[in-house]
Amino acid sequence: MGGWDLMTRVWRLVVPATAYVNPASPGPTISPPSPVSFQTIMADYQSIQALHKAVPPFSPYIAVGLLPYIAFFLLVSTFGLAFYFSTLPKDTIPIREVAVASTASLLGGFGVVALFCSVGVYV
Amino acid sequence: MARWRFSLSLFLLATLGPWLALADHSFENTAIVRTVELGGALVHITTTYAVKALEDGSAVYTIALGDDEHEKTSWLEAKIKGQSAVLPLEKVGYDPKTDIHYYAVELSKALKANASTNLVVETVQTHATYPWPEEAGQKDGQSLKYETDLLVLSPYVTSVQRTKIRSPSPQVHSYTKPEGLEAFTLEDPVTKSGSTLTYGPYKNIPQSTTEDFVQERQQHVTIHYSCDYPVIEVTKLTRTAEISHWGANLNIQDNVHLHNGGPRLKGHFSRLEHQSSAYFGRQPPHIIPGLTLHLPAGIHDVYYYDLIGNVSTSHLRTAPSVPKGSQNNQFSVLELKPRYPILGGWNYSFTLGWDTPLGDSAGWDKESGKYVVGVPVMTTIPGTVVDVAEVKIILPEGATDLEFFPPFPAAMNELSTHVIYLDTIGRPTITLHYNQLTDQHAGVIYVSLLVTYKVPFSAHLKKPLAVATAFLGTFVLAFAWKRIDTRIQRQK
Repeated sequence: MGGWDLMTRVWRLVVPATAYVNPASPGPTISPPSPVSFQTIMADYQSIQALHKAVPPFSPYIAVGLLPYIAFFLLVSTFGLAFYFSTLPKDTIPIREVAVASTASLLGGFGVVALFCSVGVYV
Repeated sequence: MARWRFSLSLFLLATLGPWLALADHSFENTAIVRTVELGGALVHITTTYAVKALEDGSAVYTIALGDDEHEKTSWLEAKIKGQSAVLPLEKVGYDPKTDIHYYAVELSKALKANASTNLVVETVQTHATYPWPEEAGQKDGQSLKYETDLLVLSPYVTSVQRTKIRSPSPQVHSYTKPEGLEAFTLEDPVTKSGSTLTYGPYKNIPQSTTEDFVQERQQHVTIHYSCDYPVIEVTKLTRTAEISHWGANLNIQDNVHLHNGGPRLKGHFSRLEHQSSAYFGRQPPHIIPGLTLHLPAGIHDVYYYDLIGNVSTSHLRTAPSVPKGSQNNQFSVLELKPRYPILGGWNYSFTLGWDTPLGDSAGWDKESGKYVVGVPVMTTIPGTVVDVAEVKIILPEGATDLEFFPPFPAAMNELSTHVIYLDTIGRPTITLHYNQLTDQHAGVIYVSLLVTYKVPFSAHLKKPLAVATAFLGTFVLAFAWKRIDTRIQRQK
């Protein structure tokens, strides 16, 4: 399944997927929005605004302040496991190599994401 | 009033649009007062209609705008005087014979016969003034001209109307003295008091939306006045707001193309003259030496650069972060100084961006399982018009069930995908296109574009797993490399 196809299937969008031109333009912005000028379904702005004020603020799964330490720990672990991987003998059934490589990759994956966020590239 | 009745009234008004001047007798204007606050790039107009209902149940009042006025108007809002609630307003027709555009305002409650109310209509006009003379030397002053229709058009009979035009400075070089108004006034048709010109009062004006009235009675007036502050225009603004859940961060970046709409520079630019006038505090009014912007509280890692690179001539005073939803009157103040002063006709492009904690702008609704984020549409530069604005919201990768709620309708909406660091399928992006934005659109406390979306937990794992896959590929290569004999001479 290609990336574009996946995108259209996963999203349930209120607005059409193609560019939509407001038939009320050109002309002045009317406050509040005209009730009959749009094809898209738009809930009352004020109710969403009230919801936005009422809901608790966003909180990440992992505290942002811990990310630099997590990045350091995970990437050092990845480096260590990679070194250990290089010393492993060549087994016929490479169970240890696969286990070490998988663990190092997983730690490295999370470590790189934490590293990016720590240096200001918020991914 | 039931919504269906309003819609029915609108339908009737729309079909009878061209005949409104003759058909509609449900109101009478006892007085119309129009106040025009002249500025540089923006002109604020407040029109107060003292209306009296002639029939029971009169609830829909019709406003008429001339074609020229309609073309310049970028903001239109109607309220009852003394009330804060904004009244529903809708365009209902256009008469090609008179070039008049009609808007219907639904009053908060229907009026009985002979009852009255005061309706306040606020409009903001953009590009309504132009520099005159068109060129000015570096040390010269700045003067602008503003043109408007003399009489306020209305499909109803008007007992008395007047127009007050306020100049930002007392220096009014010239103004039109209308003639041929004996039918409406026997006194001086225009009076000047300080920086205020008063056209009127004009009495007993019939329905002014007829073809005869517009052609025979309507006049054009021009005011030539001095303006003591620069005319700042943003020809294009591109705002990108990127949401990161891993970093709990909202990054906002503005690409601004600034233009000085004042008189073009006559002659050459003298840096010596500029430094001298800055030193003695006699900066000419048409030069933009810098900008002071009020940015949100809680911002950090602010960057300001242009085509050449980082611009260090800026000063930032940040305000501490405030909880989402709390009443906040604090702003971070950024004083920008471009590499060169922007004289009339000159352009300057720059990029300004900052990070804010995502918790200050976004929330989590446990009931629906959705995130709700509010992104300011633009940063206000007072008195400035934004000709074209593009507001882009980049949501986290894997976001679904997107819904967006703009504070006012956009000219065009787009959905796309944005691919950046560590992305696999890309991030859903909502782009809204606006024209002719003013400080009214930005609002007092940054009116926000609201977006709701869901991000499943598995979507958060996409990035680490993508990087892990890359690492694993490296390990697979190493695994294969260990088992390949790359020696040149094999041991026997």
